[in-house]
Amino acid sequence: MPVVIGFEGSANKIGIGIIRDGEVLSNPRRTYITPPGQGFMPSDTARHHRAVILTVLKEALEQAGLKPADIDCVAYTKGPGMGAPLVTVALVARTVAQLWGKPLLGVNHCIGHIEMGRLITKANNPTVLYVSGGNTQVIAYSEQRYRIFGETIDIAVGNCLDRFARVIKISNDPSPGYNIEQMAKKGSHFVELPYTVKGMDVSFSGILSYIEETVFSMLVEITERAMAHCGSQEVLIVGGVGCNLRLQEMMGVMCKERGAKLFATDERFCIDNGAMIAQAGWEMFRSGQVTELEDSWITQRYRTDEVEVTWRD
Amino acid sequence: SLEVPFPSSREAVIALRSLSPDREPRKGGISKQLTVSGSTLSWSADEARILRVSVNSFLDHLSLVLETMEMFGSPVSQ
Repeated sequence: MPVVIGFEGSANKIGIGIIRDGEVLSNPRRTYITPPGQGFMPSDTARHHRAVILTVLKEALEQAGLKPADIDCVAYTKGPGMGAPLVTVALVARTVAQLWGKPLLGVNHCIGHIEMGRLITKANNPTVLYVSGGNTQVIAYSEQRYRIFGETIDIAVGNCLDRFARVIKISNDPSPGYNIEQMAKKGSHFVELPYTVKGMDVSFSGILSYIEETVFSMLVEITERAMAHCGSQEVLIVGGVGCNLRLQEMMGVMCKERGAKLFATDERFCIDNGAMIAQAGWEMFRSGQVTELEDSWITQRYRTDEVEVTWRD
Repeated sequence: SLEVPFPSSREAVIALRSLSPDREPRKGGISKQLTVSGSTLSWSADEARILRVSVNSFLDHLSLVLETMEMFGSPVSQ
């Protein structure tokens, strides 16, 4: 019964979670929220993470009711992500692994999302749509790899929405994507005509629903194509944008037409969190993987298909 | 160079091994060295200029490692 603690901090969330055999024992998280119109910069984000990481670690252990001695493996995000925040989290993971005499395990962030989604939804072999602020990928498993079937050729879908939110100064609390979703709900009327000027006033909610509908339709289309390629009857949506209900609804319509099943998780697990790193780490650790300290460097670029999946048939 | 004393060599080695993996290889070979001698961690370079550019982030990283040690216990004996 391995117990794995997972450290995640590749973007503006810092989370530490503990998993024991598929059970989430704790999963505290903090978000670095910037003022409207401002994105999060690497050094400020790292400073935020440094300030709270030890408190979050304490919470993770307390909520799980565990002592360091009960932990079997320390997993952390190796990449991809922003360099300075990744280093911050890796430093603490390396130090506690040495203090507690436990093996260390570097985890690919995207694999963390996939394994957490599979654990929570019990989807067996789904076509995965991974959508977040930094990533947009359609992924399917084949022969010891999560293969990327399609991906964005420039910015991630979440980045697209975040940047738009920044331009028109939508609040970043709790997240720009959530606020866009709420505003877009009210704006369906303007879909046909996103350019909306009324006297001296402008309306943006119509543009937001227009943006949402357009980018989400694109994602549904590439997911459907990947399903057809693989003969897959399951879709799993992971990543921060994955908790958008409109995206889930649109994907659900496509799945229904194909007689396929849709799986998605709520914001506890689809937004970056520590338990997802613990869960992927748990699978990796059980299949015999560990990361030596000298190999524990972080990397800003780390593709999903670089990882050999040693824990699946 | 910068020298940081630790209570014991074991803690100095932990700090060394936590701080070492991410040190960026610079073009033209290794420009900075992180070493432990006894219970002292030293950070040095051939030119002071090289240390000056990265002193802020080095100290940030070092103090996070020290805080982690303080809060999460004395090292287990091997």
